[in-house]
Amino acid sequence: MARPKPKLIKERVPTPERPVEERVKDFEEVNLGYDFASAVKEAERCIQCPPEYAPCIKGCPVHINIPGFIGALVKYRDDPDKAVEEALRIIWNDNILPAITGRVCPQEDQCEAPCVMGKVGDPINIGKLERFVADYARERGIDKELCEAELKNVEPVGAKVAVVGAGPAGLTCASELAKLGYKVTIYEALHEPGGVLAYGIPGFRLPREVLKCELDRLKELGVEVKTNHIVGRTVTIEELLQEYDAVFIGTGAGTPKLLNIPGILLDRIYSANEFLTRINLMKAYLFPEYDTPIAVGKKVIVIGAGNTAMDAARSALRLGCEVTIAYRRGREDMTARVEEIAHAEEEGVKFEFFLQPVEFIGDENGKVKAVRFEKMRPLEERDKRGKRKIVGTGEYVTLEADTVIIAIGLEPNKIIAEEPNLKTNPDGTLVVDENLMTSIPGVFAGGDAIRGEATVILAMGDGKKAAKAIHEYVMAKRTNA
Amino acid sequence: MYRITAKEELDVRDFFMEVDAPHVARAWKPGQFVVLLTHEKGERIPMSIYYADRETGRIGMFIRRHGKTTFELWDKFNVGDSLYAVAGPLGRPIKVKYYGNVAFVSDAVCGQAENYATLKAMKEAGNYTISIQTFEDKAHSYPEKFLAKPVADEYYLTTEDGSRGIKGHYLDVLRELLEKDKVDIVFGGGKLGSLKKLAELTKEYGVPAIVTVRQIMVDGTGMCGSCRILYDGEIKFACRDGPMFDAHKVDWDDVIRRDSRFVREQEIAKKRYLESKGVV
Repeated sequence: MARPKPKLIKERVPTPERPVEERVKDFEEVNLGYDFASAVKEAERCIQCPPEYAPCIKGCPVHINIPGFIGALVKYRDDPDKAVEEALRIIWNDNILPAITGRVCPQEDQCEAPCVMGKVGDPINIGKLERFVADYARERGIDKELCEAELKNVEPVGAKVAVVGAGPAGLTCASELAKLGYKVTIYEALHEPGGVLAYGIPGFRLPREVLKCELDRLKELGVEVKTNHIVGRTVTIEELLQEYDAVFIGTGAGTPKLLNIPGILLDRIYSANEFLTRINLMKAYLFPEYDTPIAVGKKVIVIGAGNTAMDAARSALRLGCEVTIAYRRGREDMTARVEEIAHAEEEGVKFEFFLQPVEFIGDENGKVKAVRFEKMRPLEERDKRGKRKIVGTGEYVTLEADTVIIAIGLEPNKIIAEEPNLKTNPDGTLVVDENLMTSIPGVFAGGDAIRGEATVILAMGDGKKAAKAIHEYVMAKRTNA
Repeated sequence: MYRITAKEELDVRDFFMEVDAPHVARAWKPGQFVVLLTHEKGERIPMSIYYADRETGRIGMFIRRHGKTTFELWDKFNVGDSLYAVAGPLGRPIKVKYYGNVAFVSDAVCGQAENYATLKAMKEAGNYTISIQTFEDKAHSYPEKFLAKPVADEYYLTTEDGSRGIKGHYLDVLRELLEKDKVDIVFGGGKLGSLKKLAELTKEYGVPAIVTVRQIMVDGTGMCGSCRILYDGEIKFACRDGPMFDAHKVDWDDVIRRDSRFVREQEIAKKRYLESKGVV
């Protein structure tokens, strides 16, 4: 007999957000997330596709058992702690940083995009449910207990691995290896771990205490972090290989691309990386309480329309500036997450489309005062990323600006590529094989260091895959020895 | 932690500090620098190296009381205390090899440290070393033991007002040496304005000049582009591609202007700090 068809709830249970006028005055988180009752309500909307079919699992770069963790919330609804513990256990099988990915993943392009519920109404709010599980677990110490329980099953394998870079790829690789019984040491160039999570993503999207908790868990797993060590300068890959059984490179794409146009050296033209690092990592918005300054004027132009551009624009807004995003393509071509674009618009960021910067104009003191753009127009033809190609119109427009932030992309840092024998592609990314091993045996790599510019979750997926490959490599070497 | 192992006044403005930083000391080569953070709320400041001792794991630095951070470093950080972070070494080393007659010229705190550090290595590489150290006046000059004399085959100390050593600037002394064809390559550090003139002078005599292009940095690892300069028509990052560059290829006017990008903020922080100390 067929089961009675459950009633479909087409609309999402909303998550509260702080009102615009309040949130633009600080760097605190915008979205407040679910509480247990509303999380269960949203979880109940999930029709529980079987794992072998579930499109959300296929859409997730690390293949989290999404119906599984959502189902656990519903199943143990009468015991919230138990429900969250079960859900977290399921998520952790594939992703150890759910508080982060729940906040920064582009779910609308990944797990939520193919959701069956999306065909009849709103897709399940998978991102916010993942975030809820992580936040609730953290607040109640459930994650710590679960971590301790898992640690009891760890058998040391008597091997050491060095991880280069404490960003999403490195952190994931390190924790996976620690769970496999490896002694892991992370080498981080900056004074704090986190990589792009620490210097790039603002607190209003990823609160610092959330990041800190996720990093603390790594310490609980016995991972050592050596900050202020620049691999390639402080210690070379070759030296690391003498001390460790394997090395993982997760150095990201930390070098900003700058526009090669006149006026690029004018004052108050920042790369988004500089602007965001000053604010996020160095807390320049609290200057002079904190020592690092940031100099901005009243009118800011942000060039670019990715997540970094939105982060920079919204940060500038919070410093009291009037902000315009200028993008060389059209609205529908913007690469930022839908939620970030929406937040930026709500908060008062203005958008100008089809404008390609051609010159920065300075005043007599060398400070930028305007940007000259060529107006572009779209063609029907699309490029390999599916965006409409654009051509110049020969018409120009000049917009006033006393501060400019360039957010047109990043490329891998060149320091690591100076390492002899480490092969790179023409774009600066490291060459790796199907097991993520570089041209140096025993040295693996993942994340933006091999991808150029991708997402936190893809970097984490690489970290996990590399951990498995490193384990196989070390074990094989041992057998052959 | 990065424990302070020695601290000593150099003159009324500059001081010497030695810090435990074995990770830096083992890898440092002339031309490279470090980034310091005094405390968790601190800023990342680049600093030249006076010496790096592999045996003891310590690095020596000359530091100028210039802004809030360096005033605080002098006032509140004593031997036995620790700095929050010492990152490095950063930047590319210069080529230490036999050039013949090697001069190092300097007229400010970082340059004075580099003067000793570079010539020490150059002397060990068999070069004839010439050191020229310029100070503003006697009160702003260093004690004998902190001069680059021990590593120089030929040594000149100048003060701009003549109150100690030769009256004049390193540019004057160097011109005479260049005139006598006594110098094969010049290295330099210190004030950017002087380095621009050094570039012009050495160009005139067809002698190569490699100098420290000190720029405002945040991370010091090539991540932010704050220290970007125009070099031979291309954008370079002083932290990652330098800090020592061929002086003849540097666009000096932009370099000099960009050095004062945060003067307003610097003064705010300094004033606030000095007021908190009750100095002002």
